[in-house]
Amino acid sequence: MSRIIAGPFNRVEGDLEITLETGEDKVQRAEVNSPLYRGFERILLGHKPMDALVYTPRICGICSVTQSVASARALADAMGLSMPKNGELCTNLVLASENITDLITHFYLFFMPDFARDTYAGASWFGDIQGRFKATAGSAATQMLPARADFLHLMGLMAGKWPHTLSLQPGGVAKAIEPKERMRLLAIVAGFKRFLESTLFGDSLTTISQLKSEAELWQWYQQKPWHSSDFRRFLHVAEVQQLHQLGRATDHFLSFGAYGAFDEPMWAAGSYRDGQTSPLDISRIAEDHSHSWMSDSDHPHPPAQGITQPTLDNEAGYSWCKAPRLGQEVVEVGPLARQVVNGHPLMRDMISRHGGNVLSRVVARLLEVAIVVGQMEQWIKQIDPRAPFCNHGEMPAEASGVGLVEAARGALGHWLEVKNGKISNYQIIAPTSWNFSPRDKNEQPGALEQAVVGAPVMNGEKTPVSVQHIVRSFDPCMACTVH
Amino acid sequence: MSQLETFYEVMRRQGITRRSFLKYCSLTAAALGLGPAFAPRIANAMETKERTPVLWLHGLECTCCSESFIRSAHPLVKDVVLSMISLDYDDTLMASAGHQAEAILEETMQKYKGKYILAVEGNPPLNEDGMFCIVGGKPFLDQLKHAAKDAAAIIAWGSCASWGCVQAARPNPTQAVPIHKVIKDKPIIKVPGCPPIAEVMTGVITYMLTFGKVPELDRQGRPKMFYSQRIHDKCYRRPHFDAGQFVEQWDDEGARKGYCLYKVGCKGPTTYNACSTVRWNEGTSFPIQAGHGCIGCSEDGFWDKGSFYDRLTDINQFGIESNADEVGTAVAGGVGAAIAAHAAVSAVKRAQHKGEQE
Repeated sequence: MSRIIAGPFNRVEGDLEITLETGEDKVQRAEVNSPLYRGFERILLGHKPMDALVYTPRICGICSVTQSVASARALADAMGLSMPKNGELCTNLVLASENITDLITHFYLFFMPDFARDTYAGASWFGDIQGRFKATAGSAATQMLPARADFLHLMGLMAGKWPHTLSLQPGGVAKAIEPKERMRLLAIVAGFKRFLESTLFGDSLTTISQLKSEAELWQWYQQKPWHSSDFRRFLHVAEVQQLHQLGRATDHFLSFGAYGAFDEPMWAAGSYRDGQTSPLDISRIAEDHSHSWMSDSDHPHPPAQGITQPTLDNEAGYSWCKAPRLGQEVVEVGPLARQVVNGHPLMRDMISRHGGNVLSRVVARLLEVAIVVGQMEQWIKQIDPRAPFCNHGEMPAEASGVGLVEAARGALGHWLEVKNGKISNYQIIAPTSWNFSPRDKNEQPGALEQAVVGAPVMNGEKTPVSVQHIVRSFDPCMACTVH
Repeated sequence: MSQLETFYEVMRRQGITRRSFLKYCSLTAAALGLGPAFAPRIANAMETKERTPVLWLHGLECTCCSESFIRSAHPLVKDVVLSMISLDYDDTLMASAGHQAEAILEETMQKYKGKYILAVEGNPPLNEDGMFCIVGGKPFLDQLKHAAKDAAAIIAWGSCASWGCVQAARPNPTQAVPIHKVIKDKPIIKVPGCPPIAEVMTGVITYMLTFGKVPELDRQGRPKMFYSQRIHDKCYRRPHFDAGQFVEQWDDEGARKGYCLYKVGCKGPTTYNACSTVRWNEGTSFPIQAGHGCIGCSEDGFWDKGSFYDRLTDINQFGIESNADEVGTAVAGGVGAAIAAHAAVSAVKRAQHKGEQE
């Protein structure tokens, strides 16, 4: 048995290190560490509640909008405030715009470039994939980056700037959309759709979103040569490299439900395991500190009463990340979890065969791109420029609120407590906190720690490429995790 | 050491056409406010000068600066700048990983000793001996000092590196400090903003790489070409401020008419940045255009100056308690009072003017 520390990982938001114990050419045990701590939950204390809208997006420069939405929802919940239809539609659009750019960024810039490494020089597909995806030199980025920058004009128009957008408010949005702007939004989405259909999928978004089973997916894949679109390129590599056998975690999935009003989301909230869906019960969520550099490590903390007091005195600690658990169990969050919980037939079929793995996580991500971009056009058409965009309310001196949202990387929650008109507690559980959590008091490893066990280690590898694929299949965001 | 490539050679090698290159030179000249006559000078400098390597380090931060730069910039500008600086070491973008990446960092530092530019995003935390930010098994503070030792100059990207930003907001649990608190013997160019505008970032770096010198800085160390005017000075809503027409709450009638956001907390009158001229997302918009006040994210200590949703005149630090409804009675000093007085005078002038017309 030998021990290696893999990291720093490149092309990952924030810093990440994984300690691996290897033997028999496989990973035997893993410990995930987030070697970064910024202290947002402590900085927020004593501030006026509305200021959370400015602080929390700064947790992360990649998913700043989802932090804004979670915080706006927590404030709205505390104020007992609802949103007019236009407010919901605009929030959906701004959120979708960030989520979609995150999902395709992951595919083009973070995930696929690993297959352009020299490790794979002997593979039959290597020439094409290297030319297409090699980091900073491949041809794909020169098509994707301009398409993405153009698509983000939607964000500029609706929210002023990105990242760290300001117009999202508890009662709706600060920016009312005028009829001429609505036309421009439609044109922006149409331009991006053209890129997706011609370059990423090589087929219509409708065809992709309506794939019903793994068999249909592979049938579709075989209709054209594998190098005719980037999605087919991925499926080809996945087939040859057997990516469905890599990175299986707990197969217990959690989603907070996405898009639309919180009480009636477009995609259902809940958890899913062994063919069973359960409704979301947030009272079962608690954070365990037993292996974190945090105080009060003797018992788990429900986030509404959470404590964030860092200390290096916890001898069992090995990460700044806490270990969130749902009813004391480890769950996986992300696009795959969202689609599985909501019951998309393709993703339900895929996990019934091989569970959550590198293949199914990436397929779920791209499936979601196809579904949401189609939906964005509908949302834009439903905006009524004459109707209100924002409701108003007062924050009571004593209140509490919860804001739940699905970020590109999975379930994100903010728990807010207000006393004497000031924030008296603020707790955040980010998607990567779920996926990359350390062990808990029952010594259950986090989802990634489970997923890398059994990953093959080739001779002399210091940061095994199989581990890199698995890590990246979760699309970690360490900045959010450690806040 | 072999003859170093010029910027132009590097760009051509990266597949950027001559036509795109020249277009980039004009765009940059415009962004720098230099006028079209400067485009050939930029082109000439880039064709003849050796490439200057740039090392890009990340401390405590959220990567918003990199994201602003790579996601929002004009694709041509971004491509050219990325190929120019090659990001010899940048843990968000680089192709290599792990120990290999650490080795590249060391190699570049030795090979270009005294010549490279160090770009820093984020800042070092000093508490717990730097344990709150560990890179490659060592505190970021050590990495920063090590990399700064032989750098020609340092660019402090964003408000984290320039001022401390959000993690340094009270009570600053990690004791995060801006770069100039730990590096004292190198020129530091501050490019504040949370994040800075992509075009400002490319403008600063292009200026340094083409002209081989630090741009003219103000007393706080910010490049004058982008930070010499207040958002308020060039804001397209300024006529409404002068006319005393204000938004009272989000989405009200005034908001629909594009009135001034001063009463809902806009910090444009005290913020030095280029948002109202350069704008964001390739010149599409900026926060005020999207109906939300400026939060002053490029100003030192903007986190600890009171609520972001209080109008400036409500801030006790500015020494006055009145608001825009009752301006004119305000007498105390400070920037807030100056603005209030300025609003009042504008409104009075308008009233006088109106009177004359009637």
